[in-house]
Amino acid sequence: MKVTPLTKIIFLSGFLAAGFLLIILSCALWSNWYPLYVVGIFLLAPLPNTLFTRSEFDDFMSDSSSNTNDFAKFITAFLVASGIALPLVLYHTRLVVLPATIMSTSGGLLIYTSIIVFTLFFQDSEDEF
Amino acid sequence: MEQDRLFRFQAFKLPNSLALRSCGVYLSGALYALGVWAFLDAVIYSKTVNASDVHVTFVDWIPIICSTLGMLIVNSIEKNRLLNDALGNGGFGGSSTTTWAARVILFLGFSLLAGGVAGSIVVLILKFLMKHYSFPTLGMGVSNVVANGAIMLSCIVLWVAQNIEDEYSYSLAL
Repeated sequence: MKVTPLTKIIFLSGFLAAGFLLIILSCALWSNWYPLYVVGIFLLAPLPNTLFTRSEFDDFMSDSSSNTNDFAKFITAFLVASGIALPLVLYHTRLVVLPATIMSTSGGLLIYTSIIVFTLFFQDSEDEF
Repeated sequence: MEQDRLFRFQAFKLPNSLALRSCGVYLSGALYALGVWAFLDAVIYSKTVNASDVHVTFVDWIPIICSTLGMLIVNSIEKNRLLNDALGNGGFGGSSTTTWAARVILFLGFSLLAGGVAGSIVVLILKFLMKHYSFPTLGMGVSNVVANGAIMLSCIVLWVAQNIEDEYSYSLAL
């Protein structure tokens, strides 16, 4: 069964909107806007890999490209783990309640996975040319 | 390589693959974030829901600043400087001074890392354990130790991951 790109884009935008909905609900239901930082962290998280990872420079003989790739991967993992850890810290210090923690974490992971899957689809469609 | 093996099973072999290397780098970044957030958790906890009269002061910040500086120093050293010397041609050439500089700076970085971990344990003992605090207050000192341990573990994982790649590129280059 062949899935058309339009279906993929529609489903991904649905997931992205669901993620934003979860995070904004987790803020607005308790009128406590601390979990909104999660959106910023998860939107920043795919940036270093897309900026620094170039496949034409990904040559194992040259050191500098692998170093910048390592730095980008380090920053990416740092941001993703921060996005998971920030709601937990907010819950532990009782700045937000437990349902808001769960909703903001799952919403942030939805946003991040939809961005990652979108780039994967885009690369696939580019390889077919 | 195959016939001068002593034991029947190979004891420990670093796998040479690029995927494992990037997994190690990702794991290192996640561990560093874990350490930083464990410490920030203690700081925010001390500000918000702390019922006791013990607070996180600048003394608690010193170990994690030492650990972060040490990690920065250790991982910004060019490892080929050390590798050149390990291959045996760094004796009389002009590169011996840079090798020595690399060694001294690397020693400084590792002692900063170890000093961070030791300092966090000292803070835990002197500030919390000696005064017999019970657990919600003691948690601030424990999370300081956890934070510094996670940062040191992240530095070790990053070092090992980058050395995996060095072996890989050598085996392809030679």
